[in-house]
Amino acid sequence: MKRKLVLLSVAAVAGSLSVACGGGGATASGAFDPATCQGGTLTVLNQRDQTHLDPARLYTSGGGNIPSLLFRTLTTRTRAGGQEGTKVAPDLATNTGEPSDDAKTWTYHLRDGLKFDDGSPITAQDVKYGIERSFSPELPGGAPYLRDWLVGAADYKGVYAQPEGIAAIETPDERTIVFRLRKPQGDFPYLATATQFSPVPKAKDTGTNYENKPVSSGPYRIEKYEKNKDLLLVRNEHWSRSVDPNRLGCPDRIEIHSGLNAAVINQRIAGGAGADANAVTTDTQLGPDELARLDGDPELAKRVAKGNFPYTWYLSFNTTKAPFDNPKVRQAFTHAVNRQAVVNAAGGSSLAYPATTFLPEQESMGFRKYDFYPAGATGDPEKAKQLLAEAGFPNGVEVTLAHSTHSGEGDGPEVAAALQDAYKRAGITVRLQGIDSASYSTTIANPATQPQIAISGWGADWPSGGPFLTPVFDGRQILASGGNFNLAHHDDPAINAEIDEITRITDPKQAAKRWGELDEKLGQKALVVTLFHGKDAALTGKNVKNAFVSDWTGKYDLTALSVK
Amino acid sequence: MLPYLTRRVVGAALVLLALSVVVFAIFYLLPGDPAQLVCGIKTCSADRLALVRQKLGLDQPVAVQYWQFLTGLVVGRDVSAGPNVFHCPAPCLGFSFQTDEPVLALIADRLPVSLSLTAGAMVLWLSIGVGGGVLSALRRGRFIDRATTVFVLGGMSIPVFISGLLLLMVFCVWLQWLPFPSYVSLASDPAGWARSLVLPWFALALVEAAKYARLTRTSMLETLSEDHIRTARAYGLRERRVIGRHALRGALTPLATMLAVDVGGVLTSASLTETLFGLPGLGQLLVQSVNTLDLPVVVGLVLLAGFAIVVGNVVADLVYAVLDRRVSLT
Repeated sequence: MKRKLVLLSVAAVAGSLSVACGGGGATASGAFDPATCQGGTLTVLNQRDQTHLDPARLYTSGGGNIPSLLFRTLTTRTRAGGQEGTKVAPDLATNTGEPSDDAKTWTYHLRDGLKFDDGSPITAQDVKYGIERSFSPELPGGAPYLRDWLVGAADYKGVYAQPEGIAAIETPDERTIVFRLRKPQGDFPYLATATQFSPVPKAKDTGTNYENKPVSSGPYRIEKYEKNKDLLLVRNEHWSRSVDPNRLGCPDRIEIHSGLNAAVINQRIAGGAGADANAVTTDTQLGPDELARLDGDPELAKRVAKGNFPYTWYLSFNTTKAPFDNPKVRQAFTHAVNRQAVVNAAGGSSLAYPATTFLPEQESMGFRKYDFYPAGATGDPEKAKQLLAEAGFPNGVEVTLAHSTHSGEGDGPEVAAALQDAYKRAGITVRLQGIDSASYSTTIANPATQPQIAISGWGADWPSGGPFLTPVFDGRQILASGGNFNLAHHDDPAINAEIDEITRITDPKQAAKRWGELDEKLGQKALVVTLFHGKDAALTGKNVKNAFVSDWTGKYDLTALSVK
Repeated sequence: MLPYLTRRVVGAALVLLALSVVVFAIFYLLPGDPAQLVCGIKTCSADRLALVRQKLGLDQPVAVQYWQFLTGLVVGRDVSAGPNVFHCPAPCLGFSFQTDEPVLALIADRLPVSLSLTAGAMVLWLSIGVGGGVLSALRRGRFIDRATTVFVLGGMSIPVFISGLLLLMVFCVWLQWLPFPSYVSLASDPAGWARSLVLPWFALALVEAAKYARLTRTSMLETLSEDHIRTARAYGLRERRVIGRHALRGALTPLATMLAVDVGGVLTSASLTETLFGLPGLGQLLVQSVNTLDLPVVVGLVLLAGFAIVVGNVVADLVYAVLDRRVSLT
C-alpha cells in the first residue's frame, strides 16, 4: 500500500469522510477472455442487503444485479455496455416474445434443458406459478404492472387465497406460456425482465420464508445466507452457458458482504488488500471528493466504472392549485431556475448534468433536445419577473417547497437551498419544508398531503419512454388514495390517447421516436421544472475484469465480471 | 430486600408498558405509511394497498393494534406465511413489517453482536476512564492530569465515525496489522471474534472513557477532601489503602448509575460504530427500522433498551449498597 494512499485517506477522514484515492496498485493484467475467465472468488462489498431475496418481492429493473445471479427470467437485459445494454434479450425464453392480436397477446417458448439448482426441469407452469404468487398480499413489493395489464388480474389475491390462478396466463404445454392483456403493450418484453417472471417450483414454495432459501435458476446457488451480513454463492451445477447466452458466470464463488460503511467500502476497493483486490460494490457510488482525487492517480481512475442510469430530478407543481394552475407562473419558475447551482448542490458535474428535458439523454428513451423556457446556465430572473407580472403577480409569489431531510440526495436540503437562492433573485420567496426521508415519498405521493411544490425524482423501470412518462403524465394514473406520481395532476385526453397509441408499438425504435415527440409536447406545457440527470461512478478491485456499464442499469454487471 | 425487588419489578413493568404506549403514539402521530413502503411506493394500487394494510394489521384502530401487541406478549400470535400459518410463541413482540420475521428472533440474532461490542468496550472504557480519572485526581495539576484533560477533550469532541475511520486507516490500511473487521461469532472462532471487535471496542471506548475519566476525577477529588479520608490518613493508614479502600469506593458510586444507563444505551444504539465496522448489531437494526417505519421492530428495540436500563439501574442500586454501607435496600 502506498503511503500516498494513507495520507490522502487521513485527509479525507478529517475533511469529509471521503475515501482516499491515491495509490491503489495496478489494474488487472491480461485481456479478458470469456473462454478462460472461470475461477476465483468475487467479493461484493455493500452498504445494504437485498431488500428481499424472493423474486416476487424484488422491485428490480432488468432482473436486478445480485438477483440476476440466482433468478433467470423470461427475458433479460442485453449484457453489453452503453446503449447496446438497453436492449431486451431472451433469457429462459427462446426469443423476446411473439406478439399477436395487436400486442394484446404475448407468447413465449422456453429453451431446452433448463433446470433448477436441484436438477428438476423448469417448466412454463413454474413461471406461471412464480408470477401468480407475486399477487399475494403476503409477498408485496414487486413491480405492479401485471395487475393492470393482464385480463382479469386486478382483483386476483394470489395463489394462496386463489390457487386456481390467473386465466389470462395460459400454459398449453410445459414449454409454452401465453399472456393475454387488456390493452396492447409493446413494452411487454421489457416487463418480462422483472424477477416476477422467474420460475418458482410450487413444491418448494414456503411463502414468506421462501426468501431464506430460494431455488436458483441462474449460474449460482446460495451456500449460506445471513441476512444483513453475508450472502455466499457457489456455482449451480445444473446451469451452463449452453442454456444461458447472457450470463458468463466466471467466478467460482461470489461473496456478498453487507452492512458496511460507504467510505470503508470505497477505501477497501481502492486499497485492494487481499480479497479486496477482487471486490466490487453494487450500491456504493464514489462521492464528489473521491472523484476529484482520482485526477492524481490515473491507475485508480482506470478502475472507475462510469454510467448513466436514466433518472431525472425535477421540481413538481400541483397544477390544479393556485398559483401553479397558471402556465405563466410555471414558465416563470422554469426560466428562473439556476441549474448550475443545482448541479453543484447535487455533487458537481461528475455526478450530475443539467436537464432541460424530462427524458434523459438516451437513444432508447427517444431523447429529443428541447428547452422551451430557457434559463441558461444560471437562470433568467428578469424573464421570470416579467412572466409573473403578466400572470398577475407583479410583486412576486411566496411558495412552500418540500424536500427530503436526507442530506446528499437529489431531493435533499442542499438542492432545496440552491433553488431557494435562485428564486429569490426572481422575486419568488421560497419557504423550505423538510420532510423526514422515511416518509418523504409517501407524503408527496398522497394528494391529501402533497405539498405545493416538491423536489421529485423519477427513474424508469426499463429503458423506454413508456415507464418514464406514463406514471408521471397520464391522467388515468392519478391515484387519489396515495402512491400517485402524476404530481402535476395532469389529465389531457389527447395526451392519454397518444400514450395508448405509442404503447401499441412493438418496435422499440419506432416507439422511442414517438416517446421523444411526446416528451417535447409535455415540455411545452411546463408541468415540471427539470433540474438534473444523475451520473454513476463506482470502483472495481484491481483484479476485476470486464466491468462494462450499460445504460439500462448504470452499473457494471455481476454476471459478466471476472477475477481471473 | 424482597420488598425492594418486588417494587422494582413492578416499577420496571410499568415503565416498559409506558414506553410501549409512547412509541406507539409517536409512530401514529408521524407522517408516512408503512403499508405503502412495504407495498412499494411506485404505483401500488389502492386495492393492493388495502390488502397489504390488512395483512400487516394496520387496518385496525390503533387501540386494537396495541391490544393485539399486548396479547401477543402473553399468548403469542399467528400470522399467514402464505401456504401456511406461522405461530409466534409468547412473549411475541410481533413480526417485522419489512421482513416478516418475528421481532424476537431478529433481536436474538443481533443481540450477541451488540453484547460483544458493549461488553468489550465497557471493560476498556472503565479501565481507561476510571484509571485515568484516578491518576488525574491523585496528580492534580501535574502532567498526567493535563494529559488526561486533553484526552477527555479529544475523546468527547471527536465523533466515533471520525475516530473509528482513523483507527481503520491506521491499523487496516497503513500498518496492516488487522484485516478490515467482519464479525465472527465467539463460539465459532474466539480469536477471530476478538480480532473483528478490537477496533470497534477501542473506537467506542475512547468516547465513553473520556466521560468516565472526567467523572472519576471530579468524584475522586470530592471524596479525597472528605473528613473520613483525612481521618484515615491521620490514623496512619497506608496511602494505597486510603485510596483503594476508602476514596475509590466512595468515588465509584456515581459511576455505577451512569454505567447502568450507558450500557443500555450503547447496547441498542451504537449504530455508527456498528455501521463503520460492519457489525450487524441492534443499533444498525434500529436505524433501518426507523427508516422503514417498521413499528414492531422499533417497539421491540425500545423495550429492550428500556429493559436493559431498568435492569442496569437495579444492579447499580445493588452495587451502591455494596460500595456504600450507608445505603440499605428496603
